[in-house]
Amino acid sequence: MSAGAAAAQRFPRVTKRLQVVLDGWYRLGGQAEFYGKTLVAVGDAVTRYKAELIRLIAAMSLGTGALVMIGGTTAIVAFLTLSTGALVAVQGYNQFSDVGVEALIGFASAYFNVRLIAPLTAGVAMAATIGAGATAQIGAMRISEEIDALEVMGIRSVAYLASTRVAAGVVVVVPVYCVAVMASFFAARFGTTFFYRQSTGVYDHYFYTFLSTTDLLWSFALALVMAVVIMLVHTYYGYTATGGPAGVGEAVGRAVRTSLITASVVVLFVSLAIYGQTGHFNLAG
Amino acid sequence: MVSTGLVIKPLRGLGGFFAMALDTFVCMFRRPFAWREYLLQTWFVARVSLVPTLFLSIPFTVLTVFTFNVLLVEFGAADFSGTGASLGTVNQTGPIVTVLVVAGAGATAMCADLGARTIRDELDALRVMGINPIQSLVVPRVLAATTVALLLSSLVILVGLAGGFVFSVYFQHVTPGAFVAGMTLITGLSDVVTALIKATLFGLTAGLIACYMGTSVGGGPAGVGNAVNETVVFSFIALFVINVIVTAVGFQVHP
Repeated sequence: MSAGAAAAQRFPRVTKRLQVVLDGWYRLGGQAEFYGKTLVAVGDAVTRYKAELIRLIAAMSLGTGALVMIGGTTAIVAFLTLSTGALVAVQGYNQFSDVGVEALIGFASAYFNVRLIAPLTAGVAMAATIGAGATAQIGAMRISEEIDALEVMGIRSVAYLASTRVAAGVVVVVPVYCVAVMASFFAARFGTTFFYRQSTGVYDHYFYTFLSTTDLLWSFALALVMAVVIMLVHTYYGYTATGGPAGVGEAVGRAVRTSLITASVVVLFVSLAIYGQTGHFNLAG
Repeated sequence: MVSTGLVIKPLRGLGGFFAMALDTFVCMFRRPFAWREYLLQTWFVARVSLVPTLFLSIPFTVLTVFTFNVLLVEFGAADFSGTGASLGTVNQTGPIVTVLVVAGAGATAMCADLGARTIRDELDALRVMGINPIQSLVVPRVLAATTVALLLSSLVILVGLAGGFVFSVYFQHVTPGAFVAGMTLITGLSDVVTALIKATLFGLTAGLIACYMGTSVGGGPAGVGNAVNETVVFSFIALFVINVIVTAVGFQVHP
């Protein structure tokens, strides 16, 4: 103790730097500990806090507050994937017609939408809606000391607040991702056949030729993994919010930043693992 | 009663947003311009978005390049992976990552900061002192977001291309010379200009949305959290729509 204090007096700047590094290290450890606890407590959450779980599933799929007015989470996810699907039509059609292979746009929709665009867009949309909403709720509870009150009442706050949200996120992502994939397919088809006047037969032929069930299932797996990661990150930042009303806002911002990065890195590694060097892709059909 | 409230409330919010946007555009050209606040905010937004930019653009581009390369290797045209990388990065990944960073990092931080001031009644205090909060707070923030978005988009594209190069050359064994030679095959100046225009519009819109949500916060800690949440959602929606429209218009202007 005294040696540490003496060192701090002798080298104030070095000590400060070291403290910053150490704080970061401790935060990382604390985060990992929280994630472990949350995942372990998912069983508790499903068996003991069933009512809360069902309430959260309903609230997440429809959204809360002002977001309900514009149709809730499902509508927002659908809207974002509609716009990226339309992007496939616009970008793909123009780029392909340069080379004279605009007939292959159906293939682009089946290939890029499933592997790349729909999972990433759905992840982004989930982080923005369900995730940020969870941080805002839990953060507000932390600031108004409701979490301490829960602990006093003998309710396990991690299981009750965080694990239930992770479980609910996994349940909610299945229908939401279905809507996302359908919306991106629809937008690409509608854009190509209605605005760029390609015949629907040509589009459908190449689309169904290259649409692979295995890829679709893997893309669902990607969405599930992303939902778990996003909900873990967002509940952590809400659970550890400090510093009054401003602190909740900052926690939401920080959570969105972190979860976007983590989700995209996770998607990258999982898809490298799935598609690897062989690529699961057969031009011959 | 309830039903009219449900219909009118979002409309009122939309109207308030456009009113504030109009005020901001008018105040932008009125002296005195808040230079100090503008520089501080530019630095603030750049600081919060720089690290997310680097960390987001690498996985996004590597994913795109990887998906492209699977296709090109199947065709036996792996030498063209530079074409795919620059096409994906400049036209789509670059702008989309800029959207995510500007809306997810810059706008949220800005909204949280403004929302905290609104909660503490600092904006009303400014009004009492005869200072227009739109001129002193909103205009510099919106311009700062626009500036940083424009600068960030070039950084995103550069980092993305570098990431795509490293991944293709060192992991998928594409010839480096062929990669670089293929980069300018389809992608040209008009695509870069379109990407920069997109980024400017993203920054402007995200800044306006963040400032509107931040200045109209109410209801304690939960209110600020919800405002930040709504900022992310609304700016994502607005920016994705802008992206589609500008892409389509860009192809019409420069086919």
